[in-house]
Amino acid sequence: MNKTRLQQLGQLLNTSVVTKVLTEAEWVRQGGKKHPEAGQILQTPDKCVVVTRVQGSELECIDIDGTLSPLEAELLGWAVKQNSVRPSSGASDLERQARRLGEWIQQSVTAGEWRAEVPDRMELRNRLFDGMVPFLLLCEQLEDKEPSYGELEKTIRTFLADDTLLIPLREHEWLVLSSDGILTEADSDGDEMLGHEETKELLASLTEGLHELITSEWGGECHIAVGEPIVPSENAVRIVATLRETIFLGRKFHVGMQIHLPWLVHLERLLSGIPETVRSRFVEEMMGRPDLFTDSETVATLDAFFSMDCNVSETAKKLFIHRNTLLYRLDKIKHEAGLDVRSFNDAVLVRILLLLYKVTKRK
Amino acid sequence: MAGVRLESVYKKYPGSDKASVTDFNLDIQDKEFLVLVGPSGCGKSTTLRMIAGLEEISEGKLYIGDRVVNDVAPKDRDIAMVFQSYALYPHMNVYQNMAFGLKLRKFRKDEIDRRVREAARTLEIEHLLDRKPKALSGGQRQRVALGRAIVREPQVFLMDEPLSNLDAKLRTQMRANISKLMKRLETTCIYVTHDQTEAMTMGDRIVVMKDGFIQQAATPDVLYNHPINLFVAGFIGAPAMNFITGQLVEEGGAVRFRATGFNVEVTEGKAKVLRAKGYIGREIILGIRPEDLHEEPVFIEASPNTVVNATIEVAENLGHEQYLYLNGLGKDNVIARVDGRSGLRENQNIKLAIDMNKVHIFDKDTELNVFEN
Repeated sequence: MNKTRLQQLGQLLNTSVVTKVLTEAEWVRQGGKKHPEAGQILQTPDKCVVVTRVQGSELECIDIDGTLSPLEAELLGWAVKQNSVRPSSGASDLERQARRLGEWIQQSVTAGEWRAEVPDRMELRNRLFDGMVPFLLLCEQLEDKEPSYGELEKTIRTFLADDTLLIPLREHEWLVLSSDGILTEADSDGDEMLGHEETKELLASLTEGLHELITSEWGGECHIAVGEPIVPSENAVRIVATLRETIFLGRKFHVGMQIHLPWLVHLERLLSGIPETVRSRFVEEMMGRPDLFTDSETVATLDAFFSMDCNVSETAKKLFIHRNTLLYRLDKIKHEAGLDVRSFNDAVLVRILLLLYKVTKRK
Repeated sequence: MAGVRLESVYKKYPGSDKASVTDFNLDIQDKEFLVLVGPSGCGKSTTLRMIAGLEEISEGKLYIGDRVVNDVAPKDRDIAMVFQSYALYPHMNVYQNMAFGLKLRKFRKDEIDRRVREAARTLEIEHLLDRKPKALSGGQRQRVALGRAIVREPQVFLMDEPLSNLDAKLRTQMRANISKLMKRLETTCIYVTHDQTEAMTMGDRIVVMKDGFIQQAATPDVLYNHPINLFVAGFIGAPAMNFITGQLVEEGGAVRFRATGFNVEVTEGKAKVLRAKGYIGREIILGIRPEDLHEEPVFIEASPNTVVNATIEVAENLGHEQYLYLNGLGKDNVIARVDGRSGLRENQNIKLAIDMNKVHIFDKDTELNVFEN
């Protein structure tokens, strides 16, 4: 059940409604019938659990904080049963297998089992032993524009390669695994071995292409992170955790960016781990003018300056301004904050300050 | 082919109390080449992204043809987009890049081939069809991105700063190529740029935006010669229009403009309007384009009532023309554009006659052009 429907149900019942996963054994232990089906309801004195989907021995449920009248329970059970029939009847074997794998990955990430290997019981396991490029997609389209699994899978397969796997994780979130042969295809020189930097460059442009494809098909906000090739049978859980963290850091520190590369957020990761009090003290001590970054022009100028490796001419070009205008702005920052971003040491400090400011501002 | 209509369109981002685009009303004709221009942050790209379906429309209606498309996904809008960061697909060659959109929509192979080869011929990239993007120059990549859009044969082309990544020479060349191409394809095109030269040379009509509002929508000629307000007057034209704050006075049956270094007579036609609108005795802003200041003796002799004296602080010679930065006229430098062969030098005192038929007068409070409102 998606988030919107959960919220609607919560509003209708005027109570908190959340999803959870139970094993069949737990369900029976709590008083539920054996061999549960979607739509079955378990009422206890203070809450109500409804099975929304049965996946082998695992049950997807919604947990309602409160009790339902017999009529409410019957109606809700009926509605869930009707809803559960639709996707499973329309879903392909591949989708079902991908969903099962996605659920396992999700549970392993939640449990912190980053080194867990894909278990034998996963039907897709035998397709996860070769080198693959992992992409994590977080696409937040409006509900009525959201693509179905089938549509998205077909589009991505057409774009990347026929053997690409689309694995649903959480709501709006997918792991895409594509054969790493795509990198050799992208290399115009046709070299068998790609250098490390060259690989990263190709991964970034593949991600840009994928992003453009998805947004130009369905619109909405789509964040994509890409990792270097992995063997998914051993690293699927770890890479999902890493790419999730990359998107989280990218969205936190670089609002507006939608393509996130793990190798570009090292500093952000480090800063994110510093306790709030230490960060605040650093900002207070460093900032001559606390309102310096509230000026959007200054922030845009510094962002561009750092993204262009402190190259004045390139930054001016990127900002569509004259070189002298940029120099004037940088001098103004030097005058007001006492930090000259054209000197390496000050540039490091301002870059850190800017990143920290963005996080503080968003709080 | 189709026109595009925006009716009272607004864009508000969550958490922001100010709209990025406000009450945007525009009717773009079928086959029209419309340019959205303005400084960064004016809302031009946001407007284009709303038309593309990449951004939600917060309020108002968007029509493509006769259909309201507010809730239609980008892929179903029958549009094709070209952006500044033309993300070519690195693992596909040029042919595959151009064919991809059609392949996704399950076009027949022979139809895909026909369209790709035709577009490649138009863009003169037939010899590049087997190459991967990595092996292309900036200009070639840009043409492939255009080709990818052309093969779709959409109702509307949307382009967001497509030439920004190119060097100046290539940009000029591609500017002309895109104009020619759009004329040949006879398809509606909405083009976003920050560059007023691009806007003036390419657009059938230009929309100047500032702070999310349309300032003026008109043909290049009207925008240049009849700017509706101070912002448009200053934004369109390079070097920019000179603005001098001064007073209008009635003297000997004529209206004169007085400011530091100026005591010039306003033409009778303009004087009538100024009298009727009650501007005599009030402070106004006079706008003069650099080319409407003349140093030629014949002009000075013919217009004795509009002559001013100034000192040349800086003289920039571009060969065919010369920009003179003048002291002694108003508070700031006034720039005059004169013939490159005039031989004028820095620190020289000169006389200039103002073509008063071409001047603009702006209300100091509202900044509106008195003659255009």
